[in-house]
This record gives sequence, C-alpha cells and structure tokens, in this order.
Amino acid sequence: MTGVNDFHTVVIGGGHNGLAAAVTLATKGKRVCLIERDETLGGMARTVEVAPGVQTSQIAHLLYNLNPTVLKELGIADQIKAQSVALPTVSLSPDGRHVVVDGDKVRYSDGGAHPEARAAAVLIGRLRKFAAILGQLSTKSPPKLEGGITSLATLGELAGLAKLGLNLKRLGKEEMREFLRIALSNIADVLLDELDDGPLPGALAADAVRGAFAGPRSPGTVFSLMYRLGNGGEVRLPKGGMGMLTDVMATAASEAGCDIRTNAPVTRIVVEDDRVRGVELTDGTMLTCRAVLSSAGPLQTMQMAGLANFDVEALRRMRNLRVKGTTARLTLVLSGKPAFKDLPEGLASARILIAPTVGAVERGFNPAKYGDLPTAPTLEMVCPTLSDPALTSEGRHVLSIIIDHVPQEPTGGWTDAARSALTQTAIDRIAAHAPGLPGLVQDSILMTPTDIEALTGAPGGHWHHAEMGLDQILTLRPANGAGHYSLGIRGLQLCGASAHPGGDLTGAPGRNSALHLLKETWA
Amino acid sequence: MSTATAVSSTAPNSVPLGLIPTPFLPQLEAVSRAKSWTNWAGYISPLVLDTMEFEYFAIRNQATLFDISPMHKYRISGPEAGPMLERMMTRNVGKIREGRVGYTLWCDEEGMLIDDGTLFRFGPDDYRLCCQEPMFSWLLDAAWGFDVTIEDQSHSVAGLSLQGPTSFSVLKAAGLGAAETLRPFDLAEVEPGLWISRTGFTGDLGYEFWIDWDKAPALWDRLWEPGQTWGLRAIGYEALEIARIEAGFIAAHADFQPVHGAIRLGRGRSPLELGFERLVDFDKGHFNGRRALLAQRRAGLKRRLVRLDIGGFKPAQGALIYHRKRREIGHVTSGIWSPTAKRNIALAELKAPFGGAIKTNLWTEIYLHEEGQWDRRMVPVQIETKPFFQTPRARLTPPAPF
Repeated sequence: MTGVNDFHTVVIGGGHNGLAAAVTLATKGKRVCLIERDETLGGMARTVEVAPGVQTSQIAHLLYNLNPTVLKELGIADQIKAQSVALPTVSLSPDGRHVVVDGDKVRYSDGGAHPEARAAAVLIGRLRKFAAILGQLSTKSPPKLEGGITSLATLGELAGLAKLGLNLKRLGKEEMREFLRIALSNIADVLLDELDDGPLPGALAADAVRGAFAGPRSPGTVFSLMYRLGNGGEVRLPKGGMGMLTDVMATAASEAGCDIRTNAPVTRIVVEDDRVRGVELTDGTMLTCRAVLSSAGPLQTMQMAGLANFDVEALRRMRNLRVKGTTARLTLVLSGKPAFKDLPEGLASARILIAPTVGAVERGFNPAKYGDLPTAPTLEMVCPTLSDPALTSEGRHVLSIIIDHVPQEPTGGWTDAARSALTQTAIDRIAAHAPGLPGLVQDSILMTPTDIEALTGAPGGHWHHAEMGLDQILTLRPANGAGHYSLGIRGLQLCGASAHPGGDLTGAPGRNSALHLLKETWA
Repeated sequence: MSTATAVSSTAPNSVPLGLIPTPFLPQLEAVSRAKSWTNWAGYISPLVLDTMEFEYFAIRNQATLFDISPMHKYRISGPEAGPMLERMMTRNVGKIREGRVGYTLWCDEEGMLIDDGTLFRFGPDDYRLCCQEPMFSWLLDAAWGFDVTIEDQSHSVAGLSLQGPTSFSVLKAAGLGAAETLRPFDLAEVEPGLWISRTGFTGDLGYEFWIDWDKAPALWDRLWEPGQTWGLRAIGYEALEIARIEAGFIAAHADFQPVHGAIRLGRGRSPLELGFERLVDFDKGHFNGRRALLAQRRAGLKRRLVRLDIGGFKPAQGALIYHRKRREIGHVTSGIWSPTAKRNIALAELKAPFGGAIKTNLWTEIYLHEEGQWDRRMVPVQIETKPFFQTPRARLTPPAPF
C-alpha cells in the first residue's frame, strides 16, 4: 500500500528547476512530491502585487535563457512562447545615439545605420555558433568516464564528447582556433578587439557579467556570455510577469500527477544506512521516499541531511564555494509612462541597458570588491506594463530594474541609509536619460542580495547559487566531487542552479538531475 | 548552527628560531654521552643517549624513559565531541569508555590514512588526541558544524613514556603505586594534574605520563633517583624503533605515508591495506572515507602490509620481495634483526594477491656489505600473523614486580 506521504522522490524547492525536475520525474511515472517552504511557488520567478492593482515580476523579470530542449520535453514550449513577447535591447548612450540590438541586427535608435553593425553581427554570430556547440553540454550530465572505456555508460559519454569534438572540427580550422583562443578569455578583450568601446560592446559586456561577481575583464566572462547565448540569446517578456512561467510549470507538474505542497519547510532529510529514507517537515509530517532532489544550495542541502553524513573535504568545498550575490532588484511604481531622451516611444518597452562602455561596466564592479555600494552601476531595466497593460491599472507603470555589482552585504550592513542610497543612485543614473522619472516615482521596492537570500534561500542571494566561474562549471559544478548531481548519500542529488549546467532560468539543472536519477539502477 | 571554536592555549609570543627544547632537555643533556640528537616535530630529541644496544636491552630487561613531548596533542571537548570524532575516525569511538585510551585511525575522503594515534577519553564529552602529524587545521575542518572546542595542547602538555618490565616497580618506588590498578589502555589522574595511561610503543609493560609542561622536569627527577634500583635508563629513538617493530606497530613515513604529506598520486594507504579491518566500523554510520573504503573492499585490496620472518640475520630494511625469486611483488617498509625474538623480522607491503591468497614461495633480496665487498643473497621469507614480541607481563594487572 502506498500512503499519501509515500513517494519515489521528494523535490525540495518550488523554483523553476525544482519544477522541471518534478515534471520530468512525474511524466516518467514516478510518484513525486514537490515541497516549497514559502506559501507560493516560483523562487526567483514570481509575480507579486507591488501596489493596489499593480503587479510585476518580483526578482527575475525577463526570459532569456530557457532551454528549448527542456521546454519541449516538459511539453510547455508552445505555451511559454504564446504567453511571452520578444523584446529588442536598447543600450543608452550619453550622446543620445542609443544603440538597438535586435538579434544580431544593430542600429541606432533614430533608425540610422550603425557603422559597426556588420562587425557586431559577425561577432555575435560567431559567439552564438560557439555557444550552440557548448550548449550541447547543457542538456547532459558532465562527462565522468570513470567506468573505464569498456563500460557502456562511458562509451556513451565518449560518443557525446566525440560529437562535441567533431562539431568543433566542423567549424573549420580558423574558427576552431578562434574558439580555443577566446573560450577561456575575458569578454572585454574579445569585444574591444572587434569594436570601439561604447554602448554596443558595453551592452554585450553587461550581459556577460550580470549576476556574477565579475567584471568584463575577469577571466571566464567569454564563457558566461556564450552560456547566455547558448539558447539563442533571445530576450522575452513573460505576460503576467515571471509568475507565468511558474504557473505553467506548476500546472504541468500537477497534470503529471506531482503532489505540490507549499508552506512546507524541511526539518531534515532522513538518512539511514547512507541512503535517503524521507523528508521530515517542520509540521512533523514525514514524507518517505527513496530519493531527494534539492534545488536549495549545496551547503544548505548538506545541513538538512546532517553534516555528519558527509566527508570533511566535501563539506569544506561547499563551505568555500564562491557564491557572493551581486545583484539587487529595484521596482519603481510610476504614476505614468516613463520617457527616455532621444528614444522613440515604441522602444520604451524594450529591454534598456545603461552600460555606456565596457570600461564603465568594469569600473562599476570595483566598489563591490571592497564592500562599497556602486556609484555608477550597470543597469538593466524594462517597463513590463507597456507591453502587458493587464498588469496595471489607473495609468500607472512599473519600471523593473536590475542593479549589477551590488555587494552582498555592504560594509556597515544593509541599513535604511544604505538602501535608500542605492535606490537613489539607481534613480539618478536613469534620470540622466529620463529627466521626468523622479517626478513619476510613487513607490520603490528594493531587494538586496540579502533580501533575495532571505526570500528564496538562494545562497548569498546569488542568481546562480554558485558563481559561474571556470572553477565552478561542468564537472566542477558546484565543486569537485559533486559534479554529477549526487552528494554521496544514495538518493540525494542537487537539482538547482548550483548544479550543472548552472544558473539563469534554464530549467536544465532540474531536468538533468531528474534524468540522472532515472539512470540509477535502484531508482 | 554552532560551529567549532579553536583555542591555542600557549601560543608563543614570538616564533621560536631553530629547534625547541622540551621540558626534559636539561635531564636528557645530563645523561647524553653520544650527543646524538634529531629534530622531532621541531623539538630536540635524542636518537641515542649512550649506545643503542644498551638502551634497547633496557627496554626489554629494565625500565626506560623516553621523552614523547614532541607528540601533537589536541583536546577535543564539547557537547558534540563524540559525534564529531565518530565522523572523523574509522573505529567506533563510542566504545572507548571514560578513563580509557583507544588506538585510532583517520582517513581522507578517499579512504587513505591521514594518521594514526591514541585517543584519550577524560569525560563524556572530553577527549585528547595524541598523534605524530600536525593535525590542528584538519581537526578544525572536521569539527566545522559541530559544537566542539579544539585546543592545541602540543606546547602545554608534556609527555613521558616509562616502558619495560620493571616500570611498575619504578612507579611504586616513586610513590605512584596508585597506578597499580590500571589495566592496559586505562587512564587515570593519579595525582592532581598528573595523568597516567597504561600505554606505550614497545609491546611491553609500560606507562605514559601526561603533565603540565612546567611541572614536567620535577616528574623526571621524581622517577629517576628511585628508578636506579630498577635499572632505569633514558633512551633515544633508535632503540625504541627496534622495540616497536618487534611489537608489530606501524610508523608514519615508514610503513605508510600520511596522505596529507604525500605529493605523488597513489601514495596513500588505507587502513584495510595496512591490516586494520578491525578498526574500521562500517556499521556505525558515516565516517570520513567510508564510501571510498567500502568501494575498496568491494573491489578487493590491491596491496597489503604483512609481518615477515626473513631468513638469515641481516636486516632487510628497504629490500625488495619476490615471488619464485623472479617476480617483484613488494618491499620491506621496516626491517630489523630482533635481539629478543632472535629472528630477522620485517613489515612489508605486498601487492595482491601475495600476502592474501598466495603466501608461499616468497623471497627477498638482501645486499650485504662485508668489509669492502658487496654480496647479494636471495633469502626465503615467511608471513607471520602474530607480533614477533609478546609477553604476558604486558597485560598482567596488577603488574608483577620484575
């Protein structure tokens, strides 16, 4: 007899990766329970009411790296596409000649041709081509090869790697050399080799480092931009806010038979004989299961399962993970439409960046290194209420802003003074391009990395749950020895952004971890 | 979540230059004729004080004092000291009762031995670990997340080892007859501040003293005078080395390489390979390296450490071992002529299946230097299971007055 609390797998965390894992397992016929400590699902992908009658995305605000393979497998690709709209990107320029990037097409916002449009198209095209090759790795477990070349599993992995090598070969000699030259390099060098510094390379540099404790001159930032371009690089605004994605995935999970429980914080993961036996909730409920997929951070997951169940070195690696959150989220509730100088009204709904040069993005990172608040941060903003009027009422609008390179905890802490200083810095920086903005602001809601950690549990409030550096990707994600989802105890796996392939709203870690579990003979 | 706290009780104000004197150095210098000193963990330690043979026979026939203050000593205490040690050690630490000492091993995540040592249990949540290698940073890592305090007592607690058949008689003569009731591996505070454990590295009757650094010299003097009646001698490392091989004890850097100090891949050895299955408790719950050791046991051991009886009388230190005189299958890690057993003995590491399924037709190649001429001999070796030196007096309680 299977009781109501008996499951094959319990998935911890109702963010998009937890949901992707749950759907993947449930559609394979496994009894799955997804538990979320908060009262609503979504993690960083939620829609909240920020003023009476005004709704907007709470943390993440755009879809730009969802993995198409994952969407297709989950059966939600069409819905997501139908309920979202593609946006161009505008990179604001102090001289008013803003740059519009739409796919690989680059022009000025006044319609004029950009002198570097062709060079940019070649560069973006090349990065995308490289990204697509690397993208193959995203939907697979990282190669392990530990079975030796006589094992079937290893042969499969070798075949995958051989295909990767073959695809690299197919690039041709020159392109392959270029790939190898830049893959581990920094994005500033790659951009400035091809383009004059300005809003165009500034925008690409900003995309390479958003969410990371890194500037465009940090090594590994070419990889992080390719990671973002791995799924095409298209930016889409979800209708109804990011909660739409969560709703669609939660519906898919329910339809697949997954038991979803919110307000269900975990007391502990029950481990006996080095195997997962269940999950005990704070209300005393005991869920029995043979596997736990956790989208919480690795250290948090280990704490739930009891530190004594892990080797000293494994724990040490997780303690020392590089995971400093760098991103703050500011929502401005406006009494009317925002207007930007020299920007046609039709482009006000675009994704708008303030990243005037690569150098400015790099300098914007400097204060965070020393625990100081940014003085001229790189910003990404979008006014979702222009594309999706249903979110609001009474003519009000929302400007949704991501402030880059904010220290996780500034020197002196997140005092009210520090919070309002950061809010003011961001408003002033935008007001330089939108002089009417300060007069429109009715309310502002700031979420610091600390707030994001408190709300979602993401370690350090970090977007990716662990920095996407070269030392923390592929078989080393999140750390050496834990690169294949398992944390050592049979049945305990990571399935969140800290696992391969990594962060952003891709759904891939959750889906990969679920498929990895299904390969286990006992599962 | 409570985490471990570190205490360094007697951190010196400045870093000492050169070798550090132990509290017994004045006494040792007074009896040293050989003036043969070595560096043991940064301390001045005697290799030989008079002659090695003289000191060795004192271990087996009389009583000896050996300064073990350079051993590393760590106090591990707090509500979660037990669980923390259980996770770190391969053996079942819970079976070491209060007032007892346990021999223990600990591994890295790959199941390779970091070091071995003795664990003293003072109270329910109060232990001291005594070992060869510096272990403070490892203990801090192992204690992370546990409510324990780790105190490095290496420089605040002195150690002195009294070993040999007349050692209890020496104790009694020094007014420490209260130690009479101590059974092997017992631990007691016989006088305020003076702890005695019935432990040692010789396989014979013997005791170890643990006392404040400052009070240590007086302890030596207290033992030395009355001890003369019982043949008490001070000894150096070389004599002890023979006694420990006779007793079959392994030593770091000889019979295994502490894995944290091994640079080359594959130089670590597991407790299973070293023959300590009985000190690896797979049923007690997780401990560091458990998964790796289980995998090693499943896959079968690739090598094992064995005791050998070697033909002839020439010590076989470092010699290669052969099967059928042809195939090289291992090497001697510690080899001596045992004056007490009157046998040529050794510890050796053999590749599987030798020492396991195949135990016969084993040979070793010994090089002999005889007055300017080198000779080479193939001599047969036998695998032994018991220590080469065992004596009932080592276990007798109360000890007899030899």
